[in-house]
Amino acid sequence: MLDGLRLRRLALRGAAGFALAFILLPLLLVTWLAFFRQEIPAFPPQGYTLHWFTTIPANRAFASGFWLSLQVSVAATTLGLLLAVPASLALARAGFRLRTPLATLLTLPLIVPGVVFGAAFYVGEMELEIATEWPLLGSAAGLVLAHTLLVVPWAMRLVGASLATLNPALEEAARNLGATPFTAFRRVVLPAIRPGVVAGALFGFVTSFGNLEASLFLVGPGQTTLPIAILQYLAWKIDPTVAAVSLLQILLLGTAMLVTDRFVKLSQVV
Amino acid sequence: MRAGALLLPATLVVVAGLLLPLLLLFRYSLNAFVPGQFMVEAVTAANYVKFFTDPFYLAVLWRTLRVAALVTVICLILGFPLAYVLARTQSRHKNLLIIAVVLPLFVGNAVRAAGWMVAFGAKGAVNASLLGLGLITRPIDIMYTETAVVIGIVAVNLPFMVLSLQSVIEGIDRAVEEAAFNLGAPPGAMLRRVLLPLAMPGVLAGSILTFILGMNAYATPVLLGGPRFQTMGPLVYGQFIEQNNWPFGGAIAFVLMAVTLLLTTLANLVVQRRMRR
Repeated sequence: MLDGLRLRRLALRGAAGFALAFILLPLLLVTWLAFFRQEIPAFPPQGYTLHWFTTIPANRAFASGFWLSLQVSVAATTLGLLLAVPASLALARAGFRLRTPLATLLTLPLIVPGVVFGAAFYVGEMELEIATEWPLLGSAAGLVLAHTLLVVPWAMRLVGASLATLNPALEEAARNLGATPFTAFRRVVLPAIRPGVVAGALFGFVTSFGNLEASLFLVGPGQTTLPIAILQYLAWKIDPTVAAVSLLQILLLGTAMLVTDRFVKLSQVV
Repeated sequence: MRAGALLLPATLVVVAGLLLPLLLLFRYSLNAFVPGQFMVEAVTAANYVKFFTDPFYLAVLWRTLRVAALVTVICLILGFPLAYVLARTQSRHKNLLIIAVVLPLFVGNAVRAAGWMVAFGAKGAVNASLLGLGLITRPIDIMYTETAVVIGIVAVNLPFMVLSLQSVIEGIDRAVEEAAFNLGAPPGAMLRRVLLPLAMPGVLAGSILTFILGMNAYATPVLLGGPRFQTMGPLVYGQFIEQNNWPFGGAIAFVLMAVTLLLTTLANLVVQRRMRR
């Protein structure tokens, strides 16, 4: 009887471990390949080297892709937070009639498939460009705006999680003591929801930096983001160079996620 | 009033950047496409008719549905034990385990497909291991097959399934499991008659999410399936950017969303009805 129980527990743990390994395996394999000495991904490797990391800056597509992704995601995160923080404050208030439909509307960018969002945004840019003659198609500005839309729902979710734990009496007390609404926000509300704002910023950055599907429609010729540069390279071949670049992206986004977890527990927001 | 003012900027941006473009895309899908002239203004269902009458496009839709359904079932089977262990563990490392599940979600799908490319090549990790163990005598083809795509998407979607299940299982009192055991139920019966029915909301939410993500997959089918393995996501991109056929690309985008919405709503209704009984 005891043996049956132990066996069952072992089987359960084994099955759970298998699933976890399945999730992590691709990341481990990319990491492994980044250090291979030979260029062909053949196993077992003939030796190890750090050489491939030193060749990354010389690769134009990866280097410029990294900078474009960095600039776009920092800009989109900033804009996204400027939109999401006030919106979360409004939605946190009870007894507001349009609350549910508006909350749904603002999460729409996460619900619409990435490819459909990209196609729709592309069509929107095209019509606006025809109407105003602004050079929008393939512009960094268009990319930033599209990414801002993707940052807003995540930022609202994280800021909202922080706001839910805030006692509304604190803000009322500040107002009763004569603080203007803005002062009350800056001195009372903002410090209290700071973890949510920081987590929202990091999460927004990760979402924007890693975005692939929507960006595919919006990048200009010869000017791609890092995930697109990686995709295009991989469609051609897999070698330690692209594995090294992939590892850098994994480390950058992974670190941002780990820092996010310090502020708002990931298990509660994803 | 003040709430409205705070919400206005975000609402305007989403309406201008997503809602209006979606309407525009739908309007495009009713236009005609004349080779050489690109898009010609019209109000016609021709693009939708073309999709549903051409065996090639129907095969793409069917392939996408098949892959998404298979991925969902595999994710459910693989994900349940992990979700259960995560929900019930009292280990100090629980948060670490959850991070290990969540982290891969956000590092990019192309990067994760790259990992499987390392595994699946003719001289890749899988073939090298199988050859080394003497299980096969010459490399098997895994890259550019449906199997490779299914494995790739399962790995991408599994965390969503695990998290959906875990949050629901955590809310199920452990005493009900013990009660079933005390009444003499074998583990299989306990799982089937107690745990699964109680975890049904998580099963439903996780399956729907996994199915939707499977339908919309882009990087995984492109990289692991190769150029000849067409699914709906890459098809939309191809029609738009490579063929410049915006009306047809728009129609495919709406077919993709409509089919996904229809099937997930249906699944929701069926499961809800069975749960009420």
